[in-house]
Amino acid sequence: MIRMWCSNRRIVGRALLVGPVVVAIALAVLVAAPGLMAQRGGGPAGPPQTARQRAPVDLTGTWVSVVTEDWRWRMATPPVGDVASIPVNGAGRAAAKSWSLAADTAGGNQCKAFGVGGIVRQPGRIRISWQDDQTLKLEFDAGTQTRLLQFDAAATPSAEKTWQGHSFAVWEGPGVGRGAPPVGDPRVTGGGVLAPAVPGGGGRGLRGGPPPRQQAQINRGGHIRVVTTNFREGYLRKNGVPYSEEASITEYIHRLPTHPNGDDWLNVVTIVEDPRYLSQPFYTSTNFRLEPSDASFAPTPCATPPPLPVKD
Amino acid sequence: VNRISRVSMFSVALVLLAGASASAQVSFVGEWNGRYHEDQPDRIPGEEPGDFSGLAINEAARFFGDSWDVARHSVLEHQCAPYTLPYMFFGPNQFRIWDEKHPDTQELIAIQMHLGTYQQHRTIWMDGRPHPPEYAPHTFMGFSTGEWNGDILTITTTHIKAGYFRRTGIPASDRLTVVEHWMRHGNLFSQVTIATDPVYLTEPYIRSQEFGLMERGNTNWLYNCEYVMELPTEKNDVPHYLPGRNPWIGEFAAKHAMPHEGVRGGAETLLPGWTPGTPPAAPRAGANGGFRPEHQPAPLAAGEVKAVHVQGNVHMIVGAGANIAVQVGDDGILVVDTGAAGMSDEVLAAIAGIAPPGKEIRWLVNTTIQPDHIAGNEPLSQAGRTVNGNIAAIVAHEHAAARLLDAGVPDAGRPYNTYFENGRDFPFNGEPIVIYHPESASTDAESVVFFRRSDVVAAGDVFRTDAYPVIDVERGGSVQGTIDALNRILDMTVPSKMLQEAGTYVIPGHGRISDEHDVVMYRDMVVIVRDRIRDMVDRQMTLDQVNAARPTLDYDGRYSTEASPAAAFIEAIYRDLTGAAATGSSR
Repeated sequence: MIRMWCSNRRIVGRALLVGPVVVAIALAVLVAAPGLMAQRGGGPAGPPQTARQRAPVDLTGTWVSVVTEDWRWRMATPPVGDVASIPVNGAGRAAAKSWSLAADTAGGNQCKAFGVGGIVRQPGRIRISWQDDQTLKLEFDAGTQTRLLQFDAAATPSAEKTWQGHSFAVWEGPGVGRGAPPVGDPRVTGGGVLAPAVPGGGGRGLRGGPPPRQQAQINRGGHIRVVTTNFREGYLRKNGVPYSEEASITEYIHRLPTHPNGDDWLNVVTIVEDPRYLSQPFYTSTNFRLEPSDASFAPTPCATPPPLPVKD
Repeated sequence: VNRISRVSMFSVALVLLAGASASAQVSFVGEWNGRYHEDQPDRIPGEEPGDFSGLAINEAARFFGDSWDVARHSVLEHQCAPYTLPYMFFGPNQFRIWDEKHPDTQELIAIQMHLGTYQQHRTIWMDGRPHPPEYAPHTFMGFSTGEWNGDILTITTTHIKAGYFRRTGIPASDRLTVVEHWMRHGNLFSQVTIATDPVYLTEPYIRSQEFGLMERGNTNWLYNCEYVMELPTEKNDVPHYLPGRNPWIGEFAAKHAMPHEGVRGGAETLLPGWTPGTPPAAPRAGANGGFRPEHQPAPLAAGEVKAVHVQGNVHMIVGAGANIAVQVGDDGILVVDTGAAGMSDEVLAAIAGIAPPGKEIRWLVNTTIQPDHIAGNEPLSQAGRTVNGNIAAIVAHEHAAARLLDAGVPDAGRPYNTYFENGRDFPFNGEPIVIYHPESASTDAESVVFFRRSDVVAAGDVFRTDAYPVIDVERGGSVQGTIDALNRILDMTVPSKMLQEAGTYVIPGHGRISDEHDVVMYRDMVVIVRDRIRDMVDRQMTLDQVNAARPTLDYDGRYSTEASPAAAFIEAIYRDLTGAAATGSSR
C-alpha cells in the first residue's frame, strides 16, 4: 500500500512536472500562432519585416500643433524665470533665472529652444515621412529642425552631439507587425446586439452582454516609443528653462482613432528626466491635428521672440 | 516540489509572454493621481479671471465669461457642485479604477471609477449598450460607453450637466459630448479628452493629461461639502456683471503682458503663427458633428409616447405634448397634465402600462392653461373615476379655470376642483401631494406639484430644459414671478449625497428629467437676462435697442427655439418691466 502510494506519487510527480510544460508549450504555440502568422503575412517565412512594414498605424503626413494647453507659455516667450508647471530643482531655477536671449544669440545658441526636449512644445507643424524602411523622419518647421527616428538598433549616433540627438524607436502595442490599415478603409461599426436603453440613463442591465466593440480597422492601437540620447543641452521652454545633456528623454507617439468629425490627431507624450535640473520626471503631452496637405508647412529659422516683461 | 514549482512558473510565464502580443486590451485598474506639468497655475491654484486663452470658444461663450463673477461659486446651490467631466481631470484629482466582470464569463461589463475630487462615481459601460434617450437625467460625470481601438480605450460620454471649461466662467453646455482616449505606458496613464460643445465651442477642444500609478495608496477619497451662507447676502442673489461693466476683463492680459486678442480665445489663436490682428477663423464645416447615433442621446420617434419611471411612485410620460407626471399606487392614479390634443389614446395606453392592475385615474392636476398641457383633460377625466363614481376630478388654480373659460374650452375639459389660495395639499397613495401656486410665472394660473415621499416635483412650465421660459404677460405672467417660482422649487429640492446631483427629481414642463442643479442653472439664466434688460430699461432703451444689444447672446444657442425664440423672451421681460403694450404675442 505504501509502495503503491509511493509509486503513484512518482507518477503524479512526473505528471505534475511534464504536464504543465506540454500544456504551456501547446498553449503558447496556439496563442502565438496568429501573431506569428500575421507577422509573416500568413505566408511562408521570409526576411524580417522592416519598421515600415511593421507599422501598426500610419503616422505620415503634416500635423499642426493646436495650442490648447500652456498657451501663454508656448505662444509667447514667458518672462525670464517663469518656471511654472516645470518641476525644476534649485539648479534649474537658477539657470532659468539667469537666461539671456541676447547671450544665446551672441553665442550662436538660438536653437536651444528647438532641441529635442522642447521642439514638440513649439507651436508649429511636423511633417512625418519614411526616410527609408527603418527611419521615420520628423521635420519641424519651427526652427527648421529634423529628427530621425531610427528603428535599426545597430544605427550609431553621430560623433557630435546635436540639437535633436539620436533617437532610437520601437513600435509597441498589439497591432505591431500587421501593418497600418489601408487608407480609406471603411469604418467598421462593430457587432453585437445593442442593449436596450436603461430608462433614466443609469442602471446596470445587460450583464454578460455582447463583447466590447472593436474598431480595429480604424486604429489597431500601437505606438512608437522613442528614446533619445546624444543631444546637446537645450530648453524645455522658450524662456530658457533648461535640460542638460545628462537628461533621459522618452516619448510615446500615438495616432489617435479618427474623431467622429473626421479629425485625426497625433498625441506625443514626452518624459524628461534630468538629474541636473529637474527634481522629478517632467511629463507633457502635446496634440497635433492632421492637415490635408503640407501647404502650410513653412520652415523658419531658430528665433525666439523677446521674453515678456516680469510683472508682479 | 521546488523543481515542479519552477517548471510550472516557467510554463505560466511562457504562456503569458506568448499571449501578451495577442492581447489588445490594457488594464487601467489601480489608483492614479495627476501630474500637473502643464497649466499648473490654472489647474491647482486656479485660473485668473479674463483668461480665455487656448479655447476655441465662440462669441456666446465669451459673452458668458465676460459676465462671470467668481462670487457665483458662493451661491448656496453652487457651492458643492462638482466639476463636470471635461474639467474634472484637468483639476486636482485622484481616482481609483476597477473592472466589473461577469462572474461566469469574465467578460468586461464596465470600468468603474471613483474620483476623490467631489467624490464622484463614474461607470464606463463596455457591453455595447447605446446612450440613453434625450429625456434621461444628466449628471456631472455623464453617461459613458467605451470601446477598444487596439490598446487605446476610446470613451464617449453624453448626458453631462451644464458646467464650465474653466472655473472662471467659460461655460460648457449640457449639449456636450466628450470623447476620451486612454493609453497606458507602464505606470503612466495618458488621457486625451476631446470636448464637442456646439453651444459654446466652434470646434472640439482637445486636451491631454498624465496620471501616475499610486503604489502606496492614499486616503484622500472622501469629499465633505456642506454649503453655508458665507456672506450676509440675499439668498437668491446671482452674482454677475452687466455687459461692459466687468472691471477684471483686461486684468489678465495686462498682468502677464499678453495680447488682449489672444487671451480672448478663438480657434485662430490656437494655431502657429497667430499674431494680434489675425482674423477670426471661419468655422470648419462639420467640426462639431459626425457622432454615431448610438453615441448620442436617442430622440423619440415621431408619435412615440413613453412612460419613464422617475422615482418612488412617480413616472413621466414623454412624447404626448408637454411632459406628464403620473403617480400610481394602491389608491389609484394621479395624473399631472394631460398632454396635447389627439394624443389621449397613447397617453392612456402609457398609463395602463405602469398602473397596478384594476387601478383607475382618480385625480388630474393642471399645472397651466397651455393646450399642449391640458388638451387631454376631457378624455382622461372620462377614462377615470373618483371613489364616488364620477369622472376623475381635475384640480387647478381658479385662475386656470377662469382663463380656460375665457378661452372657450368646453365644460368637460375645464378644471372644477379649483383652489384660490397659494397652495393645496392632500394625501394620495400614501404620500403627501403638495400643490404650490406661484402668484405669477408663465401665467397667473400655474401650479407646481410636489410628490413629497417620492421626492419628485412636477414643475409645469415654470421650468423647462428645452427653451426659454414662456412668459405670457397678457395672462398674468411675469419675469419676477418666474424667478420666484424657480426659487421656490429650489427650496423644495434637496440633492443626494452625490453633491448637487439627483436627490429630488424635477419633471419639467418640457425637456429632460432634472434635479436641483439643472433648475439653479436655469434660474441663474433668467435672473441674469432680467438684470441686463432691467439695466437697459433704466437707461431708457427702446425694445429695438434692447434686441440689438443681444442680452441673451450667451444663452441663445441653448434656449432660443422656434417655439420660444429669444426675441419673444426679451420682449416679454421688457414689457413686464415697462408695462409697455405688446407688439406681438410672446407665445
